[in-house]
Amino acid sequence: MNGTTATLAEATVLDVDEHWHHRLAWLSTVDHKRIAVLYLLAGLFFFVVGGIEALFMRLQLALPNNHFLQPDTYNQLFTMHGTTMIFLVIMPLSFGFVNYFLPLQIGARDMAFPRLNALGFWLVPFGGILLHFSVLAGGAPAVGWFSYTPLSETPYSSTLGVDYWAVALFVLGIGSISFAINVIATVISRRAPGMTMRRLPLFTWINFVNAFIIILALPVLNAGLAMLLIDRQLEGHFFLPFHGGSAVLWQHIFWAFGHPEVYIMVLPAFGIVSEVIPVFSRKPIFGYEFVAGSTVAIAILSMSVWGHHMFTVGMGRAADSFFAITSLLIAIPTGVKVLSWTATMLGGRIRFDVPMLCCIAFLIQFLCAGITGISHAVVPLDWQTKNSYFLIAHFHFVVAGGILFALMAGVQYWFPKMSGRMLSERLGKWAFWLMVLGFNMTFIIQHFLGLYGMPRRVFTYPDLPHWAWMNMLSTAGAFFMAAASLILVWNLVVSFFRGKIAGDNPWNAWTLEWATTSPPPHENFDALPAIRSRRPLWDIANPDRPDPVVGKDTSEIESPDKNKVGILTFILSEAGFFAVLLLAYLFFYARPQPGPGPRELAVGRTLVFSLCLFASSFTFWRSEIAMSKRHRGSMLGWLALTIALGGVFLIGQGIEYWKLFQTGVDVSTNLFATTFFTLTGFHGLHVLFGLVALLIFLWLAWQGDFALGRESAFAAAGYYWHFVDIVWVFVLLTVYILPLLR
Amino acid sequence: MTTYQFFTTAWRWNSTLLPFTALALAGYFLAFRRRGRPAYLGAALAIFLFALISPVNALANGYLFSAHMVQHILLVLIVPALLLLSLPRSFSLPRPLLALTHPFIGWIAGVGAMWLWHAPALCNAATTSSTVFAIQTTSLLLMGSVFWWQVLAPRDAERLSPAAGIIYLFTACTACSVLGIILTFAPVSICSVYQQPVDRLRMLGTIRGDWGLTSDRDQQIGGLLMWVPMCLIYLTAILAQLARWHSDPAPARGEI
Repeated sequence: MNGTTATLAEATVLDVDEHWHHRLAWLSTVDHKRIAVLYLLAGLFFFVVGGIEALFMRLQLALPNNHFLQPDTYNQLFTMHGTTMIFLVIMPLSFGFVNYFLPLQIGARDMAFPRLNALGFWLVPFGGILLHFSVLAGGAPAVGWFSYTPLSETPYSSTLGVDYWAVALFVLGIGSISFAINVIATVISRRAPGMTMRRLPLFTWINFVNAFIIILALPVLNAGLAMLLIDRQLEGHFFLPFHGGSAVLWQHIFWAFGHPEVYIMVLPAFGIVSEVIPVFSRKPIFGYEFVAGSTVAIAILSMSVWGHHMFTVGMGRAADSFFAITSLLIAIPTGVKVLSWTATMLGGRIRFDVPMLCCIAFLIQFLCAGITGISHAVVPLDWQTKNSYFLIAHFHFVVAGGILFALMAGVQYWFPKMSGRMLSERLGKWAFWLMVLGFNMTFIIQHFLGLYGMPRRVFTYPDLPHWAWMNMLSTAGAFFMAAASLILVWNLVVSFFRGKIAGDNPWNAWTLEWATTSPPPHENFDALPAIRSRRPLWDIANPDRPDPVVGKDTSEIESPDKNKVGILTFILSEAGFFAVLLLAYLFFYARPQPGPGPRELAVGRTLVFSLCLFASSFTFWRSEIAMSKRHRGSMLGWLALTIALGGVFLIGQGIEYWKLFQTGVDVSTNLFATTFFTLTGFHGLHVLFGLVALLIFLWLAWQGDFALGRESAFAAAGYYWHFVDIVWVFVLLTVYILPLLR
Repeated sequence: MTTYQFFTTAWRWNSTLLPFTALALAGYFLAFRRRGRPAYLGAALAIFLFALISPVNALANGYLFSAHMVQHILLVLIVPALLLLSLPRSFSLPRPLLALTHPFIGWIAGVGAMWLWHAPALCNAATTSSTVFAIQTTSLLLMGSVFWWQVLAPRDAERLSPAAGIIYLFTACTACSVLGIILTFAPVSICSVYQQPVDRLRMLGTIRGDWGLTSDRDQQIGGLLMWVPMCLIYLTAILAQLARWHSDPAPARGEI
């Protein structure tokens, strides 16, 4: 940033347009560092918004029988607070740190797809605006951040609040997925020579694994949101029990996303802590392999524990016991991490600077959160405490006591690198201690409030013994947290302009981001040091006793093509999306409803059109061969044929839809129609997108300048096209062939 | 029959499988002498026998879908894995079988063994006909071996690289979890034989009454077994891959 300003100042011959451009550069930037700063600023802005919402709620709850807020306003506030803090604060802040430091830590010049990166960021303000626009369009959503059906369905929430909520989360989900694709492609194909996968800093490794959770979990939410929107906008029946739908299905879909989401939020925090603790203990991390491996275990286990959010729904004793076991199991890899961090500190020369203080607070508070978390895995205890403030206390210990403190550590640790100036230690310590005091005052007492029986999600409460003073204490604590946040922001602003100059490596840290200037130049590095271990800067500073070489002593690494990696991860996320739609179709297919069913469908005709689609995979393959042999005409011909076959398939689908509309069958007719149109409609939409992509390639090839360097992009489009065909195999088997077997 | 009577009497000690395993044991020592790792073979055969002659088999034979699932998991995941581990390091497959060692075929075999035998018609047939059951058992062992070959082949060079191994196992785990999820939440019976069992052993009263296993709950447990404990087996294998990756000082193939 400063580097750019300096260069521009030297070349003082900017005309008016260029001045404009320079000022606009922050809006049009594709530089990962600037995008990261935008992510962080957006997260900070929404942190203020979400924090003010929390303060309003605490004010309302400060006194029993209070009428400061209307019940509906209170419901809107807690919905917006939860949604904002999760999707617009914690995720953008984590993504900001990852965006800035992941490429630096692996010695890359930028993310693999800079423009996709910009898109991912700009979807955050877009989603934020959509969400908050609901306030002007008849009222914010008032159904909780989990938006349980049927409460969130039209008969019970008739304003547009839930619709804006769903669209906003859909948009934010797309942004998160594009971010995760970028992270995976960057780590796989943009590492510097010598930076093998086994030498990755833990922050990078953990966020690399985290990207896979995002890829697998967010599409599940997006599928659920699409179904909810179809229910609300097109009168579908997915989650409406009186038309045969299943309200519990929404809970399954939401928590199948919602529990991994907890790890999506907490893993970047783990990453930050895994960087800060070793540096400030002056020791390498204890058990790198265990911290790295336990992350994978968490990622996999996180997919099969969602049921513990639903113990009170009535899934049956069998399901409850299994989910209780997995929930207890996931404490093991998390415990391994806590042990590693503690063992790293053991015997180290600990420097109690603010980043380290934040990490220590994180460790203690997160441990408490873990212990109350395990208590929720115990089914009978969960039944008693789930709907009380005990649970509020538990998950605020996770997200505020854990994640927020880790993010504070990240800010204090990396601000010097981003700005070139140190944050004030004095202000930092004030903010830290106030935050510790405020946080614990607010939330420790809520455990007891919960055990005394105060239910959550209520706008006020009667004047029962002890409830009043406990709530007052909690509210007072919330204001201490607000004061701490103000000091933090003040510290950021003042230090940005007047802080001590930081230098390249103020903390004597060992990872590559400290090997460049603060702030880094536009291209990140002038020259990279040799990378032979996990701490390259330690090796430079201590040439007589370097770290042992990790893996084969080589500077050669394979870097697979980024286009292929990107499209494969994208396909993985799309597969998750379609899997949910297919499962929903099967779920309702097993319980036929009165009205039209699969027998209305024309199997024979569809088979013919399906053959066209499958043939198009073959023709595309021919086109690729022609391209590799430089036969331009043949390549154009096969590609045009591919597009034509895809178009014919879409026409076939159009005929199917038209015939159904003729007989009065549309999305709102019954559950078969709802699921059928949703599944085939989304597939058709994907075929359409594929056709647009292929048309672009056809046009480029027609223009002539289409030979070297584009082959991998063409192959990537091919992967997508084949994937769309494979999805149709499954849809065809489920929707058309399965009923024939009955 | 009471629970105690059942668990003491429902063993098939007269089964032909006993001489068969004795033969297998003898053949193993003749073929590999002292080069093999007989502890793994012993474990494999013990679990194999447990799955097929113990009360688990009696329950799986028409009473409980969940017992069938235990049998299924043991036969397709545990026994073949132990068998491969028992082979000597120098072991290599005869030429005609090398075609089976492609990762794609291995994956299809592993996932197919789960999905195929839970198609309602096949699941019912395997429970009612002993011929189909024999075919099922054999195919499960074979498909499980083909699946695990990619990860547990005796020679290190024939195994997938750790990163590829993780992808292989994780995708297989996901594919099986999806089936587990379907079985758990299916509102209809997948394997209808278990809904109205033929009460040959006079156990139905005990199972439905004392054990509290209605046919709905039974299927749910079966689905959950496929979903959760099976995932833990894959997860263990994935962690083993990670351990192998981190412990390997100089990977044979290109470092990624």
